[in-house]
Amino acid sequence: MKRAIAWGCLIPTRRSLLGYEASTRKVLEHLDIETVDIPDETCCAPFWMQSLDLATSVAMAAKNLAKAEEMGLDLITPCSGCFHSYKRVNHVLETYPDMRERVDDILRSAGLHYEGKVEPTHLLDFLYREVGADRIRQKSTRDLSGVSIGLRYGCHMLKPHELLNIEYSEKPTFADELLEELGITSVEYPGRHRCCGGLLRGAQDDVADSILHERLVDVDRAGVDGIVTVCSLCHLQHDMGQRSIKRKYGMDELDIPVVHFPQIIALGFGYSPEELGLGLHTMKTDQLVAKIMGGGHR
Amino acid sequence: MEQADKPRHYRHELPVRDDNVDSSFKYEVVNQVGGEGLLNCLKCGACSGGCPVGSVIDYRPRNVLGQVLLGLKEEILTGESIWLCAACFTCQERCIQEVNFTDVVTVLRNMASREGHAAPGYLKLAQMVLTNGRVSARTQLVDRMREKLGLPPIQETDMERLRKIMEAGGLVRVLEANVEKEEATE
Repeated sequence: MKRAIAWGCLIPTRRSLLGYEASTRKVLEHLDIETVDIPDETCCAPFWMQSLDLATSVAMAAKNLAKAEEMGLDLITPCSGCFHSYKRVNHVLETYPDMRERVDDILRSAGLHYEGKVEPTHLLDFLYREVGADRIRQKSTRDLSGVSIGLRYGCHMLKPHELLNIEYSEKPTFADELLEELGITSVEYPGRHRCCGGLLRGAQDDVADSILHERLVDVDRAGVDGIVTVCSLCHLQHDMGQRSIKRKYGMDELDIPVVHFPQIIALGFGYSPEELGLGLHTMKTDQLVAKIMGGGHR
Repeated sequence: MEQADKPRHYRHELPVRDDNVDSSFKYEVVNQVGGEGLLNCLKCGACSGGCPVGSVIDYRPRNVLGQVLLGLKEEILTGESIWLCAACFTCQERCIQEVNFTDVVTVLRNMASREGHAAPGYLKLAQMVLTNGRVSARTQLVDRMREKLGLPPIQETDMERLRKIMEAGGLVRVLEANVEKEEATE
């Protein structure tokens, strides 16, 4: 199986997200999925950019899809913002002929064309539907039982529901199944499907803080060993943002490790925490990692 | 954007009279990509009920929709309320009338941006993309971390094509309109 892969802006350039890239690469390699990075990838123009001008934003996202189309490959992305943008391109082009003409014109000015043939898939959806829970269990060598986590699906992979269309978008469980295959206990806690406020970062920082504060209180009450995220913004909010929330709300005792979904899968596959960038997050992951590593082999 | 004299920033003067409203505003919105659902709104408030922003500050999507339907164009396009949506799409999922509030917000933000009323934070991010091709800058420190982790060197961005797209699509013009507006108000 071969796929083009789009990393987005943040994953390759932010310290705490490098582990997302490293673990995604390791997991896909371990599952014998061949990937090609979108050449010279540029910003996918997500919701905040669409706020400034929708037509330009759709064309900006289509530019990366055009590269995948040239290679004749469907696309995987671990970034929920990118996933949302790329899905939107295909939807807009199919639904609005005038907009399609406009986007065609904009792309032509850059010597590009996008027909609309690339199917964008979120990494998680790919692991669930294309690879499957059985294969992930077969490939895993480390027993992760005894570890309890809170899995955050984030918003932009799931909503609107037409994006994935796997199950009820407000209470999904498909990705919990994958973790449970490795022995993990995924705790359903109140607030885990609520917005993290990430998209208000930079525009309305106080509101973004208030929302994040609510989310962190939710996780803290759940008493889990850590949170698992599948979205770049969710991770930046919960991990890097946690430090400023501790300070702003005087929550000195708050100490929740936040790891990327494929980091957990890769640990299950037997990779070491070091090669998965688990030491690069803002909140220390040591305790969670120690608990995982203490589980032995299966 | 700033309305320091009005702490409850999205409240308008009451009562609203005919000469305060632009009754064609809603049709302008309806005729744009994503705005089609607006007139379906029953004002049931399902959007406000699930809003994560509304749970931490005084913000109600139904109120925004009400103002647009009423024709408070100036208030909406120059105000802060349309920039408070966190784009979680919860309201869009729950709306029984397919109003698609989040998409309506995009239409309104596009209109506001063309007139120079875009959120400064988003303009800054867009400027970064226009310069770097990404919304975050590449640093030598991260380059070294990538190498240590065994990741391939970070790719160059295709700036030539990206710039052409941002110019042809009109986004560069939007950025300029906002700079001009800022200079005019200083």
